Amino acid sequence: MTDAIIAEGLSKTFNGTVKAVDGVSFTVKEGEIYGFLGPNGAGKTTTLSLLTAVLGPTGGRATVDGLDVFRHPHDLKQRIGLVFQESTADQDLTGRENLDLAAALFGVPLRDTPRRVSDLLERLQLADSADRLVKTYSGGMRRRLELAVGIVHSPRVLFLDEPTLGLDPQGRAGFWKIITELRKDTGMTVFLTTHYLDEADGMCDRIAIIDHGKIVATGTPSELKDRVGGDVVTVRPLGNAPGLESALAALPGVHAVTPQDGTLRVKCPSGDVLIPKIVMAATSLGISLVGVSLRRPSLDEVFLEFTGREYREDEGPTATDRAVFLSRMQDARRARR
Amino acid sequence: MNARRWMALTKRELLKLARNPAALGTSLLLPILYLLLFGQGFSFTSFLNGLPPARRTAELNQLVLGAPDYFSYFAAGMVGFVSVTATLFVGANVIFDKLFGTLKRTAATPATATDIFGARLVAGSIQPVGLAFLVLGLAILIGDVGLSGLHVTATVTVVGALEVVLAILLLSLMFASLFLALGFTIEQPQTYFAVVNTINLPVLLTSAALYPWGQMPAWLRSIASYNPVTLAVEVLRINFFGGSLYPYSAAVYLLGLLGWAVSLFAIATFLVRRALAPKT
Repeated sequence: MTDAIIAEGLSKTFNGTVKAVDGVSFTVKEGEIYGFLGPNGAGKTTTLSLLTAVLGPTGGRATVDGLDVFRHPHDLKQRIGLVFQESTADQDLTGRENLDLAAALFGVPLRDTPRRVSDLLERLQLADSADRLVKTYSGGMRRRLELAVGIVHSPRVLFLDEPTLGLDPQGRAGFWKIITELRKDTGMTVFLTTHYLDEADGMCDRIAIIDHGKIVATGTPSELKDRVGGDVVTVRPLGNAPGLESALAALPGVHAVTPQDGTLRVKCPSGDVLIPKIVMAATSLGISLVGVSLRRPSLDEVFLEFTGREYREDEGPTATDRAVFLSRMQDARRARR
Repeated sequence: MNARRWMALTKRELLKLARNPAALGTSLLLPILYLLLFGQGFSFTSFLNGLPPARRTAELNQLVLGAPDYFSYFAAGMVGFVSVTATLFVGANVIFDKLFGTLKRTAATPATATDIFGARLVAGSIQPVGLAFLVLGLAILIGDVGLSGLHVTATVTVVGALEVVLAILLLSLMFASLFLALGFTIEQPQTYFAVVNTINLPVLLTSAALYPWGQMPAWLRSIASYNPVTLAVEVLRINFFGGSLYPYSAAVYLLGLLGWAVSLFAIATFLVRRALAPKT
C-alpha cells in the first residue's frame, strides 16, 4: 500500500511569532481514514490547510497523491476533495445548482455531469430538496451538500475539516455512514480533523494526536489505548494523603501512580480487582476517600497520557451525545458486517 | 482562463442577481429619484428660454456643451452615475462571499484567479449597461409627461450607438475592476463602504457628469478633462447633441476611457491574484 499523504517537518508560523504547526511529520496510506485529533487551536485545521494548498508553509514539505503540494497547488486541487467545517455552499443557489457549479469548476465532463449530480443528490438524501435554495436547508442537509460538493469530481483524497461540527448525534452517525460507504465503494483516502474523541475512535484506521502544533502520538485507536497501559483508577482522597501514593504504587499489579489535580491516577491491568485493595490501603493509613472511579482505556485517557491534561469537555460532545453516537456507530458496524 | 469555469461562475453571479429583485429595484430607484428630483429642480437653463435663438444656442454651448437644456446634459451624465452606483455592489458581494465562505470554496477548486475575477467582472458590468439604457429611455419618456426630459438633438448613427454602448461598457468595466480590487483586498463590509463612499462622490463631482461645464472653475475643468466619467459621458453627448468639451471625435474619448479601463483591470488582476494565492 503506497502513501497517499506524506508530510515532512511541516511548519506554519503566523505573524512571525505564533507557531500553529511545529514540524509535523506523518504519512497516510492509500485508502485509509486518518484522523487528526486535538482540541481547538491545536493546529488541526492549519495542517489541513497546508495539505490542501490553502495556506503556504513556513517550513517543511508535503505530497498528496504523489504531487508536491506547494509546487503544484493547481493540479492538487483537481485531485483532492475538501469539506470545510463551516457551510460554504452558495445559499442563493439550489443544491443542484451548487453541485452543477462545482462539477464545472472541477472539470467533470459535461455529458457526465447531470448523472453524477443526480447520483450524489440521491446518495446523500438530498434528491427531494435538490431544487430548493440552500438557505432553506437544515444544518444536516447543508453538511451533506458540502460533502457532495467535495466529492463531485471523485477525488482520490478527501479532506474533511471537523465535518460533523454542530450536527446532532443522528446527523453525525448518518454522515459517517455515508463516508464509510464511499470509502468502501471508491477506495478514496480520507484525512479528517476532529475534536470528537468518539468519532476518531469509531471511524479512523489511524489517529494522530496533535497538541500545541506538535504530534504527540500516532497509531491505531487500539494501539494508542494499549500505550496507556490498561485501566486507570482515579482515587480522590479527603485532604492531604501523605504516604498514599507510595502505598498504592506498592500494590501488586500497579504499573504507575500519577498525582493530578488532587487525585491519584493508578494504572493497572484490571481496575475492578484493584479497587478493593486501594480502599484497604487507604483505610490502613487512616485516609478517607471521597471517591474512586474506574476508567477503561479510551482516547480521553490517551489524550491525557500524551498531553498531560484532560481533554477539554467543553470542546467535545456531551456524555449523552457520545452515548447516542456510539450506539448508532455500533448499529452501523453491525450492519456493515 | 477556462471557458467552462468562467461561464459557470458568470452564470452563478447572474442567477444571484436575478434572485435579488430588491437590489435590482433599488439600483434603478436611485437614478430615477435623481432624474425626478435633482434633474427637474436644477433645470436652470430654462431662464435662457426668453433669449433670441442665436444667443440662447451660444449660452447653451458655453454652459452645457450644446445640449438643448440642463436636464438633457444631466440625463447623459446619469450614465456615469449609474456606472458607479451599480458596480459598487460587485465588490461588496466579494466581501460577503468571503464572510459566508463561498469564496473560500471557489478558491479550493481548480478555478483560477482569472476565472473568478473574469466572471465577476463581466456579470458586474452587464447590470450597469442595462441600467444605463433604462435610465436613458426613462429620461426620454418623462419629457412626454410635461416634465423636463432628455432631448436627443443629433442623429444617432449605428456607429454612434455602438460608441455609446462601448463607452458605457468600458466605464462599467473600469469601475467594476476598481470595486472588485477593493472587494478582494478589504475584509470588512463597513471598511469597504467607507472607502467606496469616499471615492464615489469626488469621482462624480470632479467630472462633467452632473456639473455644468460652463460653471466649472478652471482648475476643476482641468481635473474633469481626464476623469473617466467625463470621457464616457462626452461620448454620449457627442452622439446625442453634437457638442463636446474639445474638438475631438468620440474615438479619442473612447481611447482615453480604454486606457483607464485597461489600467484598472491590470491593477485589479494583480490584487485579485494576490488575494487568492495561498497565504504565506
